[in-house]
Amino acid sequence: MPLPSPPPLQAADSFEDPCLLRLANGVEVVSLRQEQAPLVCLDFWCQAGSAGEQPGQEGMAHFLEHMVFKGSERLEAGQFDRRIESLGGSSNAATGFDDVHYHVLVPAEAVAEALELLLDLVLKPRLDPGDFRMERKVVLEELAQSEDQPEEVAFQRLLALACPQHPYGRPILGDRRALKAQTPGGMASFHSNAYRPRRCSLAIAGAIDQLPIETLLASSALAGLDSKATAPPPGVALELLPGVHELELPRLEAARLLMAWQLPAAADQEALAGADLLTSLLAEGRRSRLVQRLREDLRLVESIDLDLNVLESGSLALLEAVCAPEQVAAVEEQIAAVWQEICCTPPPESELERARRLVANGYRFGLESASSVAGLIGHQCLWGRLQPLSHPLELLQSWSVERLGAELLPLLAPERACRLLALPA
Amino acid sequence: MSRSTPLPPLPQPERFELPGGCPVSVLRRAGPAILSARLWIRSGSAADPPGQRGRAQLLAGLLSRGCGDLSSDQLADLVEGLGDELRCEASEDALVISLKCASDDAAALLPLLGLMVQSPWLDPDQISLERQLNLQTLGRLREDPFQQAHDQLRSHLYGQGPYGHDPLGVEAELAGLDRPQLVDAAGALGGHGAALVLVGRPPQDLIELLQPAGRPAWNCRSPSLLSGQEAENEPALVLEEQDTEQLVLMLGTTTVPLADPRSLALRLLQCHLGVGMSSRLFVALREDHGLAYDVGVHAPARCGAAPFVFHLSSSAERAAEATMELLSEWQRLLDQPLSEEELALALAKFRGASAAGRQTCGQIADRQAMVLGHGLDWSYADEALERAGGFDPDMLHVVARQLLSRPSLSLCGPPQALRAAGKVWGSHPLGCPSGVQALS
Repeated sequence: MPLPSPPPLQAADSFEDPCLLRLANGVEVVSLRQEQAPLVCLDFWCQAGSAGEQPGQEGMAHFLEHMVFKGSERLEAGQFDRRIESLGGSSNAATGFDDVHYHVLVPAEAVAEALELLLDLVLKPRLDPGDFRMERKVVLEELAQSEDQPEEVAFQRLLALACPQHPYGRPILGDRRALKAQTPGGMASFHSNAYRPRRCSLAIAGAIDQLPIETLLASSALAGLDSKATAPPPGVALELLPGVHELELPRLEAARLLMAWQLPAAADQEALAGADLLTSLLAEGRRSRLVQRLREDLRLVESIDLDLNVLESGSLALLEAVCAPEQVAAVEEQIAAVWQEICCTPPPESELERARRLVANGYRFGLESASSVAGLIGHQCLWGRLQPLSHPLELLQSWSVERLGAELLPLLAPERACRLLALPA
Repeated sequence: MSRSTPLPPLPQPERFELPGGCPVSVLRRAGPAILSARLWIRSGSAADPPGQRGRAQLLAGLLSRGCGDLSSDQLADLVEGLGDELRCEASEDALVISLKCASDDAAALLPLLGLMVQSPWLDPDQISLERQLNLQTLGRLREDPFQQAHDQLRSHLYGQGPYGHDPLGVEAELAGLDRPQLVDAAGALGGHGAALVLVGRPPQDLIELLQPAGRPAWNCRSPSLLSGQEAENEPALVLEEQDTEQLVLMLGTTTVPLADPRSLALRLLQCHLGVGMSSRLFVALREDHGLAYDVGVHAPARCGAAPFVFHLSSSAERAAEATMELLSEWQRLLDQPLSEEELALALAKFRGASAAGRQTCGQIADRQAMVLGHGLDWSYADEALERAGGFDPDMLHVVARQLLSRPSLSLCGPPQALRAAGKVWGSHPLGCPSGVQALS
């Protein structure tokens, strides 16, 4: 059966533009109505990830995220969860290297109450000493759970080796010694320094027809944030350290070849659109270069993945190949060979178009739920990069095979990578 | 007090039947121009014949490795070239083909669904590759202590029965599977029923796309309602020694199929115990005792006797305390009904989870294909929401005592933690009559 020629990339999606509201104290609130959404997502973002921790604070950004849910000046521990969940809602949070966010998913009629509860909880945490001691046990259990996964241990070691002088080399969960020495007072100070107007944003997405956002926020804890706060100090630029390392891990059943490369920082959106295309061309789908060669043709690996991690101080491309220990050398050789081949012979336009469609559809599929849209626009707003939803799709069009080869392919040279070979002990 | 609002019912779909009998449900939905399709074919790993455990998953992986006139590479070129997703996975009860695509691409991709089930190539070279990948994955899963604890609990609860193995299979049997067994399995697809659900913005001429002129009909029927039997097993302690920081605990038993009216009561108990940060296990074990980070209830919908399992992991030195608290929570479920307030909160969570599960085309297609695949009605989820409002605490308590009275405990961790936990189990009313079933 002849293959149909693909239709042109869909660029005419009828995305609404996000709506931006700036409160008097400088906090930016972004919202987007989604026609089909049954729920509303409220997503509070703050530039308070683990990269902002000072010596002795290792793990505090994440520990604080836990402590926030232990109640506020007005809410007893557990009261927030009970009230949100009794409204038919749910909540969660996540801490990254650069930022942290707290999100709530509720029916439209519960937005006013949920918004008040969320902002009160996040901006006025109680940090009760008894709760602090108990929650530290939970964080230590989370750390132990992570350390029981050998793959996690290997990835953490790779980051430590690749970014030895940078906070991205430290575990977001922190380390036991630092966590055990931390105090509620120290955490309160971390919170009051970081949770400031110019370091916060709020996103609201979903079924928000008729929602009086401005009125709801007028007397909120968000509007009450002190506007005199200064901007955060600029992050330290990342300088990835290339190298070759080996590690033996108990309970590892298959070898892992892990590689990390440095790519442009999050602010360079156009370059990252190109990086997205390049990593997709290399490792997304059965017909991508690396999967085709290493898994399908030579059958050297169980899997090979190459993920783009967008970060403020410098992004990272992280590769993981899972294989038998005796195949590691061949795997490494073939990864280098694939890179060399693309350098010598630029891929055909059809291969770039395939990558363009995979990236574009992945983005488009991610715009269905209120949570994913709130996450996207809230994060953009936090870092001053709010843009129409169609913008990332347009950026994809600015890359040609030649430009990828000239500007981005050299960044993924094998000798620029930090490599870690994890072998079963 | 719960103040959650009722969820608007899911609209009724357009329905038709393909020549051959496969029922199709189409739900048109506003939003991004995309389409999600699920073809739910009854007979998953539970139907793997003796000595062929892993057959369903191996077949599932091969359906997208060549069909009709398209080789494995050509099929991948078509789907990936359009930037879309097409895959097939086996669960315990079904093979599920999942398609997610831009609406403009649907006309090119929908005909593949029929080709995959009717004309898979089952090329020996691709069989060899897929089998090797599945064997490697099975080996790698042993790295995860949660997987180890889960595997040994499943093995104890179901033995050699239909749910006794991972859909990926059993290494020795998977290694022996080859084309003849897969040809048999492919030929039987649809014989136990199938259902196709499309959600989003479908193209015109759906019937023609799903059943192109000249292609023979796929003989299939609507899945029938099953009255699955309850599994029989004795409470036991099963152990796996691993050099880990934590002890993983799984406490569970077998219950009833989704179609059994009592499964709804179990779902509400699951909401009470394990859904959200206000859930009973989260508060009692994590917030009050700091015993675990991750704690919850695993209770999947099944055509047969579904498992109902508490799970958590806790530091090895706290093994005895964690075991005692976990057993106490299970015992509490048997000893006392929920309060009215707890039931109201569970109900609100049930409604909330249902609403959250209707956000994307893929979520709706997944859920509705599963419901139809179990032989239930399209409106099952909405009816369940309504019926759930009629439960009182005593009704849930009766179901808990009927179905959850004899759990087994599976542990994975270092020897001293296993000993400490085993001692607690041995002296607890839930564990007293049982013996140790395995120690590695």
